[in-house]
Order: sequence, then C-alpha cells, then structure tokens
Amino acid sequence: MRSYQLENLSQLRSHLGRRGALFEPRQAEDGGELHWLPMVDSAWPHEVEETPLLPLTSPKSFFFKEREQLFYFDGKQFVETLPDIEPQTLFGVRSCDLCAIAYLDQFFAADPYYQKRRQATLLVGIDCLHPCDGGFCRSVDAGPFVREASADLICHRQADGHWLLIASTEAGEEAVQGLELKAANEASLRQRDLRQKEVSEKFPDTSYLHAAIKRINNSDGGVAHTTWDALGLQCLTCSGCTNSCPTCSCFAIFEQTTDEGVARQRCWDSCYFEAFQREASGHNPSGEAGQRVKRYWEHKFSESYAATFGRYGCVGCGRCEKVCPGVIGVHSVTKRLATAS
Amino acid sequence: MSHPTTNTVVPSICPFCGVGCGMGIQVCDGKVVGVEPQLNHPVSQGKLCTKGWSTPYAVDPIDRITTPLIREGDSFRPASWDEACNTIVEAINAAQQEQGPDAVGVIACARATNEDCYAAQKFARAALHTNNIDHCARICHSPSVAGLRQTLGSGAMTNSISDIALADLLVIFGCDPTSNHTIIGGQIIAAKLAGAKLLVVDPRSTRLAQMADLHLQLRLGTNIALINGLLNIIFDNGWEAREFLDSRCENEAALRRKVEDYPPERVAEITGVPVDKLIAAAKMYSQAQRAMLTYGMGITQYISGTNNVIAISNLALVAGQIGRPGTGINPLRGQNNVQGACDMGALPNVFPGYQDVTDSALRQHFERAWKCALPAQKGLTSLGMTQATLDDSFRCMIIMGEDPVVTDPDQNHVQRALQALDMLVVIELVMTETAKLADVVLPAAAFSEKSGTFTNCERRVKHITAAISPPGEARSDWMILGELATRLGYNGMQWQSAEAVFDEMASLNPLYASMSYAKLIEKSGLQWPCDAAHPDGTPLLHSERFSRGKGRLIAVDHSEIDELPDEAYPLFLTTTRLHFHYGCGSMTRKSPLLERETPVGVLFIHPHDADRLNIRAQDPVRISSRRGTVETRAMLSDELPPGTVAMPYHFKEAPSNQLTNNAQDPVTKMPELKACAVRVEKIEVQEAMPG
Ligand code: SF4
Ligand code: SF4
Repeated sequence: MRSYQLENLSQLRSHLGRRGALFEPRQAEDGGELHWLPMVDSAWPHEVEETPLLPLTSPKSFFFKEREQLFYFDGKQFVETLPDIEPQTLFGVRSCDLCAIAYLDQFFAADPYYQKRRQATLLVGIDCLHPCDGGFCRSVDAGPFVREASADLICHRQADGHWLLIASTEAGEEAVQGLELKAANEASLRQRDLRQKEVSEKFPDTSYLHAAIKRINNSDGGVAHTTWDALGLQCLTCSGCTNSCPTCSCFAIFEQTTDEGVARQRCWDSCYFEAFQREASGHNPSGEAGQRVKRYWEHKFSESYAATFGRYGCVGCGRCEKVCPGVIGVHSVTKRLATAS
Repeated sequence: MSHPTTNTVVPSICPFCGVGCGMGIQVCDGKVVGVEPQLNHPVSQGKLCTKGWSTPYAVDPIDRITTPLIREGDSFRPASWDEACNTIVEAINAAQQEQGPDAVGVIACARATNEDCYAAQKFARAALHTNNIDHCARICHSPSVAGLRQTLGSGAMTNSISDIALADLLVIFGCDPTSNHTIIGGQIIAAKLAGAKLLVVDPRSTRLAQMADLHLQLRLGTNIALINGLLNIIFDNGWEAREFLDSRCENEAALRRKVEDYPPERVAEITGVPVDKLIAAAKMYSQAQRAMLTYGMGITQYISGTNNVIAISNLALVAGQIGRPGTGINPLRGQNNVQGACDMGALPNVFPGYQDVTDSALRQHFERAWKCALPAQKGLTSLGMTQATLDDSFRCMIIMGEDPVVTDPDQNHVQRALQALDMLVVIELVMTETAKLADVVLPAAAFSEKSGTFTNCERRVKHITAAISPPGEARSDWMILGELATRLGYNGMQWQSAEAVFDEMASLNPLYASMSYAKLIEKSGLQWPCDAAHPDGTPLLHSERFSRGKGRLIAVDHSEIDELPDEAYPLFLTTTRLHFHYGCGSMTRKSPLLERETPVGVLFIHPHDADRLNIRAQDPVRISSRRGTVETRAMLSDELPPGTVAMPYHFKEAPSNQLTNNAQDPVTKMPELKACAVRVEKIEVQEAMPG
C-alpha cells in the first residue's frame, strides 16, 4: 500500500480515462438524479461536495447484468457467450457499494460472466465526509471510509481541500504508474483515521437496528410470525428492493429464441416473488409473504450468513427504504422489529 | 461484442397504469437495458411496481413487428409502407363510396401518447369524415366521464395523488390500488401507517381491506343500495354538510326523498353489510375532517356503472368531502394515458377538451381550424362498430395498439366481427391476438422510441423524449395516420414533429390552452385545466365552484345485475386484474419472471365453494357461462366472498371474456364485465387438459 498527495482529481481522472471507459455518479442532462454515466470532463463534478452522492442504482449491474445471455444452441452445438470487456474504471464508488462488490466477489467467485467483467474493472473509492440521506454504513461496518481491501485506489479529501490518494492493491499501484506523484506523509494517514471517527459520530442513532438484528438472530424473544405476516401484507412484490440492493444476487434462468438460435439467458430475480421457490408440484416453502420478508431480512442480518461472508449481507446504503412502495425498507422494518411485542 | 455499461439514462414515464410513475430508461448501445425509479418525480418519488421494473422486457426488440405486413391467406408477408398504405386507402375509399363515411372507424389507444390520440380523432373526423372514433376507456372508465360530467361537470380525478398524505380518512371503493395502481396503493399504506383511517368497500377481502379500520364486504353489484343506505343514515342523523349543500349543490330534496326508500335494515338485506357497520361508515365518512374517496372498476364495470358513479358523487357532495385538499372523488384510471385519450377527444361524441360534436358552434370552430367539413352526428362506440360490422353496415377498422380480442367482453362475438370486416388495420408493437386477424399490420414505435406527452389520472401532463430509435421501419402512430390522411386527400395532418401536433391540440383544447413542451419540461408536468386563468395548472378541481356551476345531486336506484346466478349457472363470475400483468398481457407477458409468477390463467375460488365442488388447489376446472366455456386451473382464495369466483383477463390461453356478459350500461354502453353467472366443474384427470 502506498499513498500520495494530490492537488485535485483531474490529473488522476484523465490518466485513468486513458486506460478505457471511466464511469462515475453524475447527473444526466435532465439534472436531478444521479446515475452511473461515462465521464465527460476530467474535472470531478463533485469537487465541492456537501453530502455524499450515492446513485439510487447500485453499481452491481456493471458485473452482474440485469439480463445476460449465457450460451446458445445453434441447432448443432452449444456456444458459450462470455462477454468481451475492455478495461474500465468505476470512479467515485462509496464505501458501502465497495463492501457490496466485495460481497458479490465471494458469491460469484466461480461465475465466469461476473468475473470477466469484474477483472476488467478498476475500482476507485471516495471517502464520505458526511452521512447520506438514509445511510447507516457505520452501523454495519461498511463505511463511511473506504475499507482498504475493497478498492484499488482510495481518494480522501483532506481538510485543506487537497486529496490523499491511497493505492491499496497492485492493480491500483499499476494504474497510477506514469503519473508524477508525491508521496504522502504518515501524518496525513493518521489524520484520515481521526477524520473517520469524527464523521462516524455525525450519523443518526440506529439503536433500533441493533435491537432488530438481535431479534432476527433469535435473541430477545425472536420475531413472532404475526409480525412477519403484518410486514408481508405490506410487500407489493415490486422487486425494487432486490433490484436496488447492492448485495442481492439471485437470478433466474430462462430460454429465449434469438436470431442465433435458442439462447439460455439469466436475469435478476427477486426472492419476494411468490414463485421464486415454488416447486413443480405446487409446494412452496415460502408461499406466504411473511415468510418471504423474513427470509430477505435473515439474508441481510443473520449471524450464520455473516459467518460465511465475513460480514452482514446489508451494507447500510438505505436504498431499499427509498424504493419500497410498501414502507418495509430497512429502517421501517428494523424499527418495527425492534418494538414488536 | 457486448458492452457492459449504461451509456445514458433518459427520463421517461412508466408505460403501464394511470399513475404515471417517473422512470429513467437506461440505454446502452442504442438498446434499453434497464430502468430505474426517479427519486425526484412528483408522483412516484423513487418507486416503481413490478410491471414498471419489467419494462425492458415489454419493449424488447425480440418479437417486435418491424415492417408493414400484408395478409396472404393464413399468413403475412412483409410489405413497403407505400404498398401497405395504398392497400388501406383503397379499401377505405371502396367502403365509403358504397356505404358512406360511417362504414369506417378508428379505435385509438389509451397507451398511445396524446399526440397519437389527437391524430387518431382528427384522422377519423377530418380525413374519414366520421365520428366513429373510440378507445378502450369504454371498458374501464366511460361511466366516470359520463357520471361525473353530469354531477360535477368534469369526469376526472378531482384531487392530486399527493393529497393521499393530507387526508385523515381514505375510502377505497371497489378497487385494490395495491395491485393495480401499486404506487398509489403504497401511498395509502404509508398514510395509514402515519395515522390516517382506512375504510374499504369491496366484495373481496383485498390487501387494504385486511389493513382497514372498517371493511364493508358488500355483495357484488349492490353499490347503489349501499350508498343510498349511507346517505339515509347521514341525513337521518343530520351529519350532512349543511352549509356546503346549501351554497354549492342543487336538487337535494329529490335525493332525500329517494334515499328514504333505503333504511339501514333494507340496505343490510340487499348488500349483506350489517347495520352497525353501515352506521359506523356513514359517521366516519361524513364526520372526517378530510376524507378522500378513491374508486375503480368495481364501480364502473356494471350495467349500472354510470349510476354507480353518480351515487359516489352524491355521497361526496352530501358529506362535503370535495373541493378541498385531502378530499375528493378520485377514479383510478387503468392505462397510462386513458385520461389523455379522453382529453384528446378519442371518443365518438366529443372533440378535444370534451367539446360536444353535436354543438354546431363548436363544430364550426373545428371546421375552420381543420379546414374541412365535419360530421354532425355522434359516432359509434367500439362495441357499436363491432355490432355494425355484424349488421353489414361497417366495413373497415383501424385499431391502434389495442387487443379487443382478449380484452373485450364476449370474445367470440368480437372475433367474428373483426373477421367479417373488409379491411382490418392494426397498428401494433407485437403480433397480438387482434393483429393476427388483421389484413394489414403496421409497425408502431413503443413509448421509449418516441417523444410526446402522457396525462396521468391526476390530470398531470408530462413530456417524454425518445430514449432509442424504433426498430426497423416502425413509426409513431401520428406519423402513420398523417401519411394515410394525405393519401386520402386530406392535407391537414402533415406535422413535422410531435411538438407541432401538441401545439395544434393545445390551441383547440381549452383544458390544455396554456401548455407547451417548454413549460411542461420546466414545471415537471402541469395539471389541467391550464389556461390564462390557471397558468400553472390546477392541482385541485372544484375548489370554489364546480365545473358545471352547482354540484348536482341525482337520485338513483339500486338495480340488479343483468345476469344473476340460477340453478344452471349458480356462481357469480367477476373479472379482476393481477398485479403482475397488464391488459391483454402483450407487454408484461414477455417478462420471464412475471410469466412464471402466474402461469397461463387461473380461476380464483373460495375454499367453501371449492370444497363443495370437490376442487383442490391446482385442479383443472371447466368454467361455463351461457356464452362459452374456458378451462384453466383453480387457485383457492379466501379474499373472495363464497358464491363468487374470479378470473383475470390477461391470458389468451384461458380467456375470461369467452364467458363475460355483453349487457351494457344504457348511458355509456359499458359492458357488465364485473359480474355474470357461471358454472364451475372439476375436470377429471382422465380428460385432457390443455397447457
Ligand atoms: S438491505 Fe437495504 S440498506 Fe442494506 S444494503 Fe441492501 S438496499 Fe442497502
Ligand atoms: S421494495 Fe418493498 S414492496 Fe417491493 S418487493 Fe421489496 S419489500 Fe416488497
């Protein structure tokens, strides 16, 4: 790991832009919303940021596509259709999303389609200096500052307005080669640690979240069926939460006739669909909406999954709360679980 | 080479229901790869429903029609636009020369843009010289337009969707917004969680009924009796809004006399709702500070549809729950632009802006603007055109993006009629069941491929731009109709852009008078009326006075459903929509997930009835009515009252409309889709089961 001093991000961005496409959270022409869009100008559009800028759409679709062809059968043989990906950079990824990518890296470790995309991608993280609306990364060990193993390069804006650049992987180190960079001193790294503590303290109280996690893990009396059922009644099965959650990774496989022949494709699935687990016989282990809500939140917060992945399945981005029309996103659900009798 | 990333995100509007949620279309290499909700959208605030999230499948270029097609025997062959248009024009000319202008007609589409719908009605009136123009509002909300125009003077949602958060009582009448207008349903749930009271009136035990403070589970088709009963109680207790009635309404005495015939005990008997619940509901509604009433097809799809709407209006007027924020009468419209299609005059009796075609001053105004003579009599409705075809007086039909073969009542009848036409032209995205019957099929552009405007159920007009280009030779409907008009010898439809169509429409439609694309974009949409007096639009209708002046109370009587169950057909069949599908399913059924969720049609039956008929979940069943027979699988549901079975209408494999009754509302010709009598039998396993 090496660290450097930077005046601003322009030089770094143009340099990385030369490696291949660079994507960043940016407003489309309509203004307003943030999307993952190709860079148009090497000046970082959020140089004077007040709050961190987390697009409503998570970056997972860069690696795990909404819909992807796996192979096709042309009448004679099966032809695998692995994607052909040029080197690319995701710039300005926040710590929560980086933790989510690290989580998906484990889930898709043996998936060639995911890995092909992932390996062509350089991840550049940015430390958040303010809590975002609805975010609680601090409470689930996913932020606000970028975890070293989760990004290739980390940018940290110092109090003086200059940037500290940390190359935390070999790929990151390689990527900055050719730039004339001045090494940063130890003090700026220490400063960063102190700053993280300061920023963490600015997050709103989430004691209800911790209370809910305990109950999901069956302590403090667990969660009654009736509570899950009441929450289940509110699920309108939109699939918004699973589409938006940066760690949700379920997919469905289906066949589609295309010009090339019969193609096997996969697409994002949602565990909130009634038929997600329905068996051919009609039997369904999660036929009730309440059971499905329970399963989703167990995947996010149960200690047994945490043991497998080394962290909770939730990275605290708050997206599910924003997109859920039924008012059962992460804050609403954990508040209800914390206080349910 | 597949490119892994999104190049751009184009703001748009979800193409499904009338809520009109904001949707960003993710485009990569000229293809739609995904959608995302828009946090700053005034209606949907970052949410979408399943159908919205599945939009990329709906517009998937696979299966799209990309060139004009001309029938040859049992199949179609690709043709040039030139040949296709000539074929159509020849057939129109022949039919009109022999049988007059009214031998042809147009069915516009409640999913098309305002520009397309305006072009459709102008095409019918100015190029074909007929008022035979209609669209599918006929089978969902024509009674709302007819009923509310009589009582209030305007047939649209009186308040804004955001008013849900302002109400302290929400009344949900004959609809389940959580499945059909999900984002509104979600806002109702949010309001309930935040402390608003919830009153649900529905024969089914819907999701909201299960959350409600009070659920009136009335018998199918007894809405008017119920409302008259509530009014009887309100008057009896002096709970009416005295001052409001005196200053803003007329005809109270006649209504009072009428509802005297509906004492609570009698109403309890007709509706099956106990007296104490009737009293509780009457009190809740009339005494609420701000009560917002929402209704859906459980009100309109009856032969008494218009009277049902009038009864709803009576209730709101007597309780004074209208004209203020957080109140009002709010019909939930089915399709994303059904409000717009009506506003554009894609109806047989009105020009754009609900201006009567039989009014000679108005007609002259349009004649001057369009530079042509216009027909003076009302035209035929869509079902009227079908009937006229079977009577040999109608020969040529142009259908834009609708699938009446699946969605209209009495399917066999519709199919026979369409086959009897000399020329059926279908303008479509994909080969629907209706398109398969066509003589000429023309490829249309999808919503993501054109610019234009949509009007949602709260009268909000929003502008969208094309995210990608249409596949092959597909075009916007207004361009297709403009081309046909020119070839028919009418030159008034040669617009150069969607904006030019909009500007012409706004100059003739008083409700849209002060709107322009620039202003719609700047203001993130405007709610009509938007004119010199209301340059920023009108979120709340009827605040000072009703559109017609005084609110009119109209006495209406309970009438029985046209076809009651009897010994041969002992069960009520009602049709419903499933959350996962939309209309004829031609868009939603392309999503593998939505298709998996509800396989090829179902019959919902109450466990008691199922038990009696020895039917278990998933059993194959046969449903018969006086008109036809359908086979499908049973699903048990205690959301229905015993004695009533339900079928969704989305599936061509199990078309509920083989069974439904074509009896119509006398005012609007709305067919009674919500109730008919059927018999259900289990199919024994030895017998073959399709699917
Ligand atoms: S569960 Fe919700 S808050 Fe947690 S990571 Fe997923 S979307 Fe974000
Ligand atoms: S976002 Fe909410 S309503 Fe939609 S599937 Fe998730 S929990 Fe259900």
